[in-house]
Amino acid sequence: MRRAIAVDGNLPPRAPRWAWVLPRLAAILVPIVIGALLWLLHHNDLDDQRTTMISDVLWLEQNLRFQMERNLEQLRLLNIDTVETRATPTYDARAQALIQNGSGLVQIVRLDRIGRLRSVTPAAAPDQRQRLRSLAVFTEASRRAVQLDKPIYSKPFNLDVDDPCFAIFVPHYNDRPADVIVGVYSVHALLYQMVPWWFTEKYRVSVMDANGATLSSKSRVQTSDSDLSYQVAFDPPGQGYTLAVVAYHHGTRLLPALLMMTIVLLTVAILVSLWAVKRHVQRRHVAEKALREEYAFRKAMEDSLLTGLRARDLDGYIVYVNPAFCQMVGWSADELIGREPPMPYWAPEEMAQTLTVYEQIMAGTAPHEAVELRFQRKNGERFDALIYEAPLIDANGVHHGWMASMLDITERKRAEERYRQQQDKLQFTARLVTMGEMASTLAHELNQPLSAISSYATGCLNLLDDSNGAAAAESDVVHTLRKVVAQAQRAGQVIRRVHEFVRRREPMQEPCAINTVVEDATGLIEVAARWRGVRLQLDLAPNLPPVQVDKVMIEQLLLNLIRNGMDAMAQTVADQRLLVVATVSHERGVCVSVSDRGPGIAPAVAAQLYEPFFSTKQEGMGMGLNICRSIAELHHGRLWFEERANGNGTTFSLWLPVE
Amino acid sequence: MSTAYIVDDDAAIRDALLWLFKSRAVPALAWQSAEEFIEDYSARMAGCLLLDIRMDGMTGLELFEQLQARDCRLPVIFLTGHGDVGMAVSALKRGAHDFIEKPFNDNELVNRVLIALELDARNCRERADLASVEARLQQLTERERAVMDRILAGKLNKVIADELGIAMRTVEVHRARLFEKMGVKSAVELAQRLARRS
Repeated sequence: MRRAIAVDGNLPPRAPRWAWVLPRLAAILVPIVIGALLWLLHHNDLDDQRTTMISDVLWLEQNLRFQMERNLEQLRLLNIDTVETRATPTYDARAQALIQNGSGLVQIVRLDRIGRLRSVTPAAAPDQRQRLRSLAVFTEASRRAVQLDKPIYSKPFNLDVDDPCFAIFVPHYNDRPADVIVGVYSVHALLYQMVPWWFTEKYRVSVMDANGATLSSKSRVQTSDSDLSYQVAFDPPGQGYTLAVVAYHHGTRLLPALLMMTIVLLTVAILVSLWAVKRHVQRRHVAEKALREEYAFRKAMEDSLLTGLRARDLDGYIVYVNPAFCQMVGWSADELIGREPPMPYWAPEEMAQTLTVYEQIMAGTAPHEAVELRFQRKNGERFDALIYEAPLIDANGVHHGWMASMLDITERKRAEERYRQQQDKLQFTARLVTMGEMASTLAHELNQPLSAISSYATGCLNLLDDSNGAAAAESDVVHTLRKVVAQAQRAGQVIRRVHEFVRRREPMQEPCAINTVVEDATGLIEVAARWRGVRLQLDLAPNLPPVQVDKVMIEQLLLNLIRNGMDAMAQTVADQRLLVVATVSHERGVCVSVSDRGPGIAPAVAAQLYEPFFSTKQEGMGMGLNICRSIAELHHGRLWFEERANGNGTTFSLWLPVE
Repeated sequence: MSTAYIVDDDAAIRDALLWLFKSRAVPALAWQSAEEFIEDYSARMAGCLLLDIRMDGMTGLELFEQLQARDCRLPVIFLTGHGDVGMAVSALKRGAHDFIEKPFNDNELVNRVLIALELDARNCRERADLASVEARLQQLTERERAVMDRILAGKLNKVIADELGIAMRTVEVHRARLFEKMGVKSAVELAQRLARRS
């Protein structure tokens, strides 16, 4: 599996601002347009209804007029016939028929030429006939009809209580005077009989007088609103009457309403869904922003880490490195990602060890604690890294690879080394001071008796010298010589005390394997050797017999020799700095040799090498080899040195007897 | 009597040095500490001082400083171990007479002490001379002093007589008196004696 984790943080760009203008505009416009449409449709509908109503009303008025014309004609015919034939029974029958015809007439009255009441059909009660006779409207109209000799409509009158009526006066217009036939119309009857049923279903029809009071109405039902109404003057028959028509309702039609409703519902649905989408998008934006910020924050954290981070997949390919890692090794992320082992930053001389660690990690058997490895930078510089390796497990618990954090501990180690050296130096100085103090005290302690001895002896010599002339008693000289002896013994005491002080620590001798001692000693100095670029090589003979030694003392001795050897190679070429520590069986004992590849020891130096306080080093106090030799002698062993073949360094050897 | 005064805290050294000086017939006295010496010190002591630098209590250097404060004119020889040569040298610069490093060549030490004793004796004499010249000068009369000043200026008797307005014979008398009082026989000797004073 080879996979690079592509993380660049480029989320899809945000929708531009104007993209939201259109939906918003639509959301505002759609209701307006739909509202306008509805209003327009409603308006059209009203118009249609009004037109229909007007034509209906006009038709009604025409119909009424036509009917009344017919009635007029019938009445004239009746009048003519009656005058010609004088047949009263026929007249009665025909008048009766006319009334029953349902043409709005309720009474037919016959007046003579001078307006006297001759007959009333249907037959009326005497008080009613009296009433007709007394009606001024009646008489006036009949006179006018006779005078003008043409049919005349009377003004409205009330024949009965709440029964508005008007009448048509039809004179017998022949050249001789004749009767006047009067057809009395009741407004109620007219409406009931003449307005067809379908008309009344749609409209409320009423007749109103000149004052706007309703005289009669086809329906008693009141209409709720009167915005859809129409009035036509009912003239001439009405003489001030008005025919008013009001529509019961504006006939809301079901289909368009349903359609409208659907459209409105759909629009609302669209708006709601648009709003929902917008909300969703906004939430997404918020989430994206949070994600972006979170990512940026994490990236910033990662980039500002001083710890190097490296991720590897299960096959060991690098899939991720952070900037700190790149800075440590000197290779860029592009150069490292996708690389397989061996990595370019593995130091060639540590390849074997690095590979072992790598294989352990890949096998999952690596130790949990940090691993210390030496790597190289791109420019070849070496550095020490402390690496913590951990399995890379994702949110689903799947193991994807390995995550390592790396610390550059070169500086730390250098500081530690510096500190150690400083401590060494300090200790050395302290020892030097102590030794100086001791030597100074010793010198003073010895000086005193020696000075005294010298003075006594000189005094004695002076007395014995004749030329001096001073006489001396023999007893005085003897006395003084005793003092000389006493002072000499005093000096001896000082020396003995020093010796006792030095001897105070007896070696703790115990049997041990010389190879172990050598390994322990080299282990102690390994770090120092590495820093000085000196390779330590052990060449240990197997199956050596145990030696009876003080382990610590021998270790000190070896450390001293190794340190001397490393110091000797300070000027040697870097890759030639090899220090070989070898053990070998030798002359009933074992021999440890320390061979350096330094410039060797000059003959003048060699002669002085074991002299106390002689040192070739600036900081040396010239006790090292001296002590070494003392230790060797304490163990009944020997310490010597020899030049290596062709002047290539020096070998110091320690021989220890085996009992 | 000139004596070598020894201050050392080591009994053997003191004893040995006394024996050494005795063998060369040099009078010597010893103290075991600086404090004891300071107690016994008097301005009339004549000779030289042998001081050990390293001592318990007051060191040789401190003693030297105290003696200098008391205007002691005794020449001081420091005896030092190798550790305090530097101190000894600085003491030398402050007026010590000599320093000798231990271990020393004993007769050489005695020789140096003898030189110091001689130096001290000479210093004493000079101090005594100086004191006597002063005393003699006090005995001169006004006239004799005036004559002496002119003699020292190298003037002849005749010139002196002219300057002082006296007879030449009187000048000669004054001169003889003056020479007698100052204990000199010639003008040269007089000049020498007075020169040492300045």
